[in-house]
Amino acid sequence: MKKLIPLAVATALLLTACSSGNYAATQIPAEPQAAPTTSTTPAPPRPCPDGVDALASYAPDASTPAPLGEMPAGSFMADIKARGRLIAGVSADSLNLGSRNPLTGKIEGFDIDMINAVAAAIFPDAATNPNRVELRVISSPQRIPSLTAAKNPVDIVARNMTINCDRWHDIAFSAEYYRSGQKTLVPRDSTATSVTELNGKTICAPRGSTSLANLKKKNPQVVPITADTDTGCLVLFQQGKAYGISGDDTVLAGDAAQDPYARVITTERFSEEPYGLGISLLHPEFVRFVNVVLQQMKDSGAWKTSYDKWLKAALGPAPVPPKAIYGRVPVKQ
Amino acid sequence: MTQTQSAPPATWSPPAPSTGTTQSAARTGSRRNAIAQWFEGTPGRMRAFLILAAVASILFGIAAAQGHAQSSGALERAEANAAQLVRIQEIHTNLVSANADATNAFLVGGLEPPAQRQHFVDSMAAAARLISEASTAQPADQNVLGQLNTTLITYNGLIEQARANNRQGLPIGSQYLKDANAVLQDDSLPLVNALVQANQKRVDDEFDGVSHGTIWVLVGGLLALVVFGITLRWLARRTHRYLNIPIVVGAALILIVTIMGGVSLSSASGAASDTRSDAYAKTLALSTARIAAYDARSNESLTLIARGSGDAFDKAFNDAAGVVDDQLGKASGTTDGLQDLWGKYTDVHKKIRTADTNGNWDGAVDMAVGRTNTADNSVTTFKAFDEQSADQLQSTSDDVASRLADARSSIRLFGWLGLPIGILAALLVAWGMSQRLEEYR
Repeated sequence: MKKLIPLAVATALLLTACSSGNYAATQIPAEPQAAPTTSTTPAPPRPCPDGVDALASYAPDASTPAPLGEMPAGSFMADIKARGRLIAGVSADSLNLGSRNPLTGKIEGFDIDMINAVAAAIFPDAATNPNRVELRVISSPQRIPSLTAAKNPVDIVARNMTINCDRWHDIAFSAEYYRSGQKTLVPRDSTATSVTELNGKTICAPRGSTSLANLKKKNPQVVPITADTDTGCLVLFQQGKAYGISGDDTVLAGDAAQDPYARVITTERFSEEPYGLGISLLHPEFVRFVNVVLQQMKDSGAWKTSYDKWLKAALGPAPVPPKAIYGRVPVKQ
Repeated sequence: MTQTQSAPPATWSPPAPSTGTTQSAARTGSRRNAIAQWFEGTPGRMRAFLILAAVASILFGIAAAQGHAQSSGALERAEANAAQLVRIQEIHTNLVSANADATNAFLVGGLEPPAQRQHFVDSMAAAARLISEASTAQPADQNVLGQLNTTLITYNGLIEQARANNRQGLPIGSQYLKDANAVLQDDSLPLVNALVQANQKRVDDEFDGVSHGTIWVLVGGLLALVVFGITLRWLARRTHRYLNIPIVVGAALILIVTIMGGVSLSSASGAASDTRSDAYAKTLALSTARIAAYDARSNESLTLIARGSGDAFDKAFNDAAGVVDDQLGKASGTTDGLQDLWGKYTDVHKKIRTADTNGNWDGAVDMAVGRTNTADNSVTTFKAFDEQSADQLQSTSDDVASRLADARSSIRLFGWLGLPIGILAALLVAWGMSQRLEEYR
């Protein structure tokens, strides 16, 4: 009986949950487990579907309207005109190519000038009406999916996109409008003169870009790190998480312009990056029309004016505009 | 309870043998005899009953005090934990509101509107102050709050870097802003959510604990009354006097205090559970609605910043707006006019989306950053909702605190009475019993 009393009291205390306000410490939530990176080796680049030179685009033909001409009924240009605006996928963070000017809020650059020229060839009032062009900001990995999307695709992509055979399987390209090449950005005090001297260093390249593949090919000894955009790489560089950046000289020039402690190794250019405007394979007539517009820009000097405005300061005097190559025949979709 | 007659002496006689050791058998024997003599015969039994009833009275007093302490403590802790929960929710609100300012300012360009910048600074300062308050108020939260502080330093650093770059017209500013947003979403807010869950559980546990105090009082009172009943019955049989007045008065006192305690504690626990289902539930719903509203507002800006690639953000807006509607519905009754104000804001949001999907991005941005002078102004409509909901949240959370404090003060009288009444009853038993013991002198 005597033993029962303390037992009963203890049970009573337990039953009444006599908490004294001493709570268990709040737990820090577990870090979400990073999805196991399925390190599938990327499929080897496919050769051109028809064996023609990668740079060859669809030649303008008799049915291709002149800029500002009457758009043939049923053509994609007529659809765009009826819609009232051209929808373009662009970059908003590649200085001088396509970047948002924080002061004005407008996206501007060399790539954007190409888009504006195409819009001006469809809409007579494109220069004065900003709503004739809808710029959609897309990231590097989104370039092809945004063109092939079933729902609400973009009409055209101008986002420093390299023309290659592998991509011709998925989308069509205009004729080449600029010849870039891959270079390397390193800290100002680095003595490296080539990417081959950067063994063991962390080098950043945008995910899903040709730069990444080229970098691995050029020097397998570097440690690649990826970001979603070119500017993402610059942030990693500024935070010390990446030693250098590998990318097109146009992009690196823009990066170096934003960071006085960065320099581009100008002497080594280890790939050829011909830029083209990406268009869906479904609209070969639009590709032809864009080719006419690009040719007109190159001939009229508008191309050089744009180059001088955006790239001359960083990359030197304007080269001769790349010559358009034709000869590819659209495959029936 | 059939062996009532013999049980009490049996309970109290055993202590004697335990004192007897091998040392001095004779002395032990005599002491044992003395104790046995004391409990011998009718007067001995009376003494045994006296001790039993007195102990039962004191135990009742202790149980009553414990019952009061249990209920009152649970009420107090429920109030404190509810206050902590509101504090954590306020931290959350301040963080998402600061982030909404930062993302919206990005749409404007490098030159931020001073009022918006000030609001950002104020929100971050309020969050910092609340974090230190919260870690003093609940030591169990300190670890997570410390971690939260660490992530906020990173967040603030990235935001300032974004501003500095934006101010110089460098596009890299947008990347820093994106990274800052990612730090807040992926590192800071999960910590805040963990804090909310932990504190919600604490409030629930304490609300459950309020009613447990009644059990102490009822069980203690019932046991004491049974002992008194047995004592009275035994006395009546032995002494042929039907009532021993002092002991009856003692029993009556215990009965009154038991009833009073049972009633006041259960009415306090009823008041607590009313508060829980009414004011507390509304407070929770309102603060959840406010957090979701700011989240929606951030996503509106992010959708525009992404310029056409913002489907994920637009979906996030719709999810958050759904939460706002849902929670406002739960808090209905106190949310006068809030639904209207929220509706006005979502109407403007729809116009923004329509303009953006039709390619009029600039027009959409003008509405979103409040550059329009018409009613289609996202900034002013959101501000109206924000201010109104903040006022109502303040009044419901004050309501929770005052109702719990009222419930606590309603049982204070009983808390003072419990132990003194137990002691008084014990003294009455001694008095009543000694009257009878006198007769054996």
